[in-house]
Amino acid sequence: MPIHKALFALMATAIVALHAAPACADSTQGITDTTIKIGNLGPFTGESAVFDPLNYGPEAYLRYVNAQGGVNGRKFETVFADSACNEAKGIAAAKKLIYEDKVFMIMGNPCSGVAMAIKPMLDKEGVPWIGISANPKLTTPPVLNMFHTTYTGVQSGHAMASFAMSKPGVTKIALVQHSNDWAHGYCDPAVDYIKQHGGEVVVSTVMERGSTSATAQVLQIKASGAQAVMGCLYQQELVIFLRDMQKFGVNAITLGALGADFEQTTRDVGDPDAVRGKFFQPYQFKAKLGEGPLQKFHDIFVTYLTKAELPKQGEPTNFYYFGVPAGIVTVEAFRRAGPHPTRESWEAAIESIKDFDTGVLADNETFSAANHVGVERMFAIGLDGNGQEVVYKSWGEKVGN
Amino acid sequence: MMLAQLVVSGIAAGMLYALVALSMTVVYRATTVVNFGHGDMVAAGAYAVLVFAVGLGMPFAAALVLATVVLFLFGVLLQRVLLQPIIAGPHLSLAMMVLAVGFTLRGAERLEWGNEVINLARPYPRGVFMLGSVVVTMDDLVITGCVLALLLVLFVVFHVTPIGRIIQAVFQTERGAALVGINVRAFHAVMWGTGAALGAIGGVLLALIVPLTPDMGQWVLLQGFAAMTIGGFGSLYGALVGGVLLGMMQNVLGFYVGTVFIDITAYLVIILVLLIRPNGLFGRRSTVRV
Repeated sequence: MPIHKALFALMATAIVALHAAPACADSTQGITDTTIKIGNLGPFTGESAVFDPLNYGPEAYLRYVNAQGGVNGRKFETVFADSACNEAKGIAAAKKLIYEDKVFMIMGNPCSGVAMAIKPMLDKEGVPWIGISANPKLTTPPVLNMFHTTYTGVQSGHAMASFAMSKPGVTKIALVQHSNDWAHGYCDPAVDYIKQHGGEVVVSTVMERGSTSATAQVLQIKASGAQAVMGCLYQQELVIFLRDMQKFGVNAITLGALGADFEQTTRDVGDPDAVRGKFFQPYQFKAKLGEGPLQKFHDIFVTYLTKAELPKQGEPTNFYYFGVPAGIVTVEAFRRAGPHPTRESWEAAIESIKDFDTGVLADNETFSAANHVGVERMFAIGLDGNGQEVVYKSWGEKVGN
Repeated sequence: MMLAQLVVSGIAAGMLYALVALSMTVVYRATTVVNFGHGDMVAAGAYAVLVFAVGLGMPFAAALVLATVVLFLFGVLLQRVLLQPIIAGPHLSLAMMVLAVGFTLRGAERLEWGNEVINLARPYPRGVFMLGSVVVTMDDLVITGCVLALLLVLFVVFHVTPIGRIIQAVFQTERGAALVGINVRAFHAVMWGTGAALGAIGGVLLALIVPLTPDMGQWVLLQGFAAMTIGGFGSLYGALVGGVLLGMMQNVLGFYVGTVFIDITAYLVIILVLLIRPNGLFGRRSTVRV
């Protein structure tokens, strides 16, 4: 062989080896004999820091598992990273977790924009991801390493529309939404459901973040004769919208998206008449917060989270509970992956989970190679005439009846 | 009737914009500096009331007075400690300084309340009144009443008392004002304090109708700029008229054209007014004699 051909072959081999090496070396990154390193990526600062309980929920569960001795002799070690719900910061934070902290996987990540921004990096490096972001494009169609253990905007949007249309006679529906991807992630599937089930969107309105009034939106909805409203709004704006619905005497029911905490929203509206029997939200859980099977998780939160990680006042909110299944499924997959987990065996373990009860969510988790969104069925929550929280399967049908 | 409702609700919303514009106008008129960090002083006022009323258990009125005093002192200190040393520099440096102070305030609020949406309890009963078929709330009346009362006070101060003549003198020529014995530095500090205190009152009024968040002042800041632009920079009446017109325009355009216009009305107004009537409705054309 001429020397230049030999050199070329040697270089080609080296290049192939260089590209191939990380994939092999990375499959157990973050795993030692005694620890499993998890990256917890979330908005710990910035205007979206209200969502960080979604990160603390699964963290509390990991600390609880550690206190029970861990999984297969290993304890979880969490590295927090702040995305501030900003794509550029999120990419930098994810890079740090993957390349400097060398975590096994990333969990949490409630911001869809950040999750979509880091998806190519996760895909390239084969880093597993279990997130809480609502954007269905993260896991549908499925990619090998990404999983939703909670509901995406598709399930939530369908639940909003199906509950509204389960009220007898409701076919005329209005939309009020932010103009961002998050809101479309809920309202677009709701619109699909409405159209597929014989309903009609009679008016579509926009209410941007920071708005101090919803007068024009509410008056448009009133003039349209809508019987129900899909409110794809964050909590601050949802509160203002519900107040204005009451102010202008609009009796259409409002279904809020999951960007708002139900208890805080009903409290912050400050007028029981504005929410009793009028405001509902898809409900992800199998019981009321802190009650029945959810009591265990309440106790985990207050035991294993620090004062700074818990609400300054009141009990742990919806977001704490909603984050927990990411932790539960992560732990379950490590149990199933056995004493020598790799990323490949851990991902295969998740796909082996069928009809698995997290003890938290309304639906059981079921994954497969073709489905990386574990849950589908949701309930709805609202306040009855006495101001008591009630969980409904459909209009007038309570859970447990 | 729908138009009447849109106009009435627009007036109430516009009054808040007007108050923010008024508080920025006070500073601009006295110092010719536009406070780009003013939205954060608005939010700081609301949080100060939260601390005093909820944290320390003070009566709402006392908390409001104390918060106003604290923000006044903050404005004075801001001018004396951070702005005075760079007062001779370019306006851009001053603008960057107030912007940086605003972001710092917001960051500090996020440290304590960043993951919470808080509601400030009203110190008066909720109420809804009907004027024919037009709905008016107690919030609308309180906000409108407070802003009109503050405007009256400012009118008296600016046009009846000697302070008004001092303000006018400093606005026209600082050097001339200094030559006739006015302490321009102290005057600037007091006006920054006054602007911050007015902003704080605006923040408290805003917190009556929207939940408290560290970013709550940003929307009204933009509306305040648009109101100043409509009314004319430096004009107190202009700030009021501009704010009210903007509030009404947002509602009418939002309802009859599309709700997407609510968010961009302020930007459209700024662009159109600057193109067609750069001095706004009441602003004076500045001329340089040579």
